[in-house]
Amino acid sequence: MKIYTGGGDRGKTGLFSGERVAKCNLQVETYGDVDELNSTLGSLSAALPEGWTDIDGQLRLVQADLFHIGAWLAITPAARTNATLEEFTAERVLFLEKTIDAMEEQLPALSAFILPGGHASAAAAHVSRAVCRRAERRVVALMEQSDAKKLPASWQQLLRYLNRLSDYLFVLARFCNHRTGVEEPLWKP
Amino acid sequence: MNQQIYSGKLLQRSHLSADTIELAISRPRQFTFQPGQRIRLLDRFQERDYSLVNAPADRSLRLCIRLVPKGRFSTKLRAAAIGSCFEFTGPHGHFVLRPSGRPAVFVATGTGAAPFASMARAGERGFTMLHGVRSAEGLLYSDLFRTAAGAYVACISGKTSPAARMFGGRVTAYMEQKLAPGVYDFYLCGRSDMVRDVIWLIDERFPNSRVYTEIFF
Repeated sequence: MKIYTGGGDRGKTGLFSGERVAKCNLQVETYGDVDELNSTLGSLSAALPEGWTDIDGQLRLVQADLFHIGAWLAITPAARTNATLEEFTAERVLFLEKTIDAMEEQLPALSAFILPGGHASAAAAHVSRAVCRRAERRVVALMEQSDAKKLPASWQQLLRYLNRLSDYLFVLARFCNHRTGVEEPLWKP
Repeated sequence: MNQQIYSGKLLQRSHLSADTIELAISRPRQFTFQPGQRIRLLDRFQERDYSLVNAPADRSLRLCIRLVPKGRFSTKLRAAAIGSCFEFTGPHGHFVLRPSGRPAVFVATGTGAAPFASMARAGERGFTMLHGVRSAEGLLYSDLFRTAAGAYVACISGKTSPAARMFGGRVTAYMEQKLAPGVYDFYLCGRSDMVRDVIWLIDERFPNSRVYTEIFF
């Protein structure tokens, strides 16, 4: 089965809402960052120690959420093309918050800044966190250039989600070091 | 994604052309869809997506199926006994009409006409329909499109001379030569090479148009 059409060979691509835009369009850059984030989560999942099915399961859910977010970001705010796309709701933010809280209960309190690193899975989680922050910044830039009155409710929720996801990934990095017994690298100024 | 598994009985099978059949399957009461969407037929070892060609309110679900030589799935569908059961999930896909003030142009090759048949049966009118086939025998649902479309153009790309009121050449040639410049909502369904060629043409000749695509393999 061919996965390519070649329709984008000349530097343009199609948004989910039908517009043909340059591949350097901010909207394309934004869902491209979300795609990159999703890919880093795949790397993170591959770096998890054997048998960490709880964390792996969480990451799968986040990856599915990011697919959903990518679809929403491929729709221009003014377009009426979300008829078949489910709303992205605050429920997904709550899922992250509950997961963060559950992990934090098991962690020692932070006493200093930590450096990104430690166990391979923790280091991977930090890479994902940084990419997540970039994706979030792009979403903000996209919202800044859009008509605020036309922003879909799902965009507001996915922005909250990305903000919370960075927090989740930070806590997950700490959790990975804690559970593997690897000492957290501390910043020593 | 809709992963609920439904079950439907094969009610009827009819031949639309030498290599295309239409199946009617009983419709589970709770199953709903929008014109242009697909269902995914499930088999023990494989699954295939097919666009529905009926209107959402119809009592049975209808599928337009190209018979692929030595294709395991389509061969099985061709041979299935009336009354046998199929499992499927759906509806899938986002290839649905997005109403706007722009004129809609439907472009299909072969069985890519299927989602447009569903839209027409659901009451869509006034669109331009370009259907690309090798020979007139491959034109599907032509009576329906003649009635529903504002303009229906059969584009015959094979060597046989096209009949009266048909266009001799591919859909891209028709668009280059005959489709008035303007801003449209293009809906493309068919083989990937057609979709690619039409998209390039749209970028060149019909800027600011919207393009929605569904690839048929």
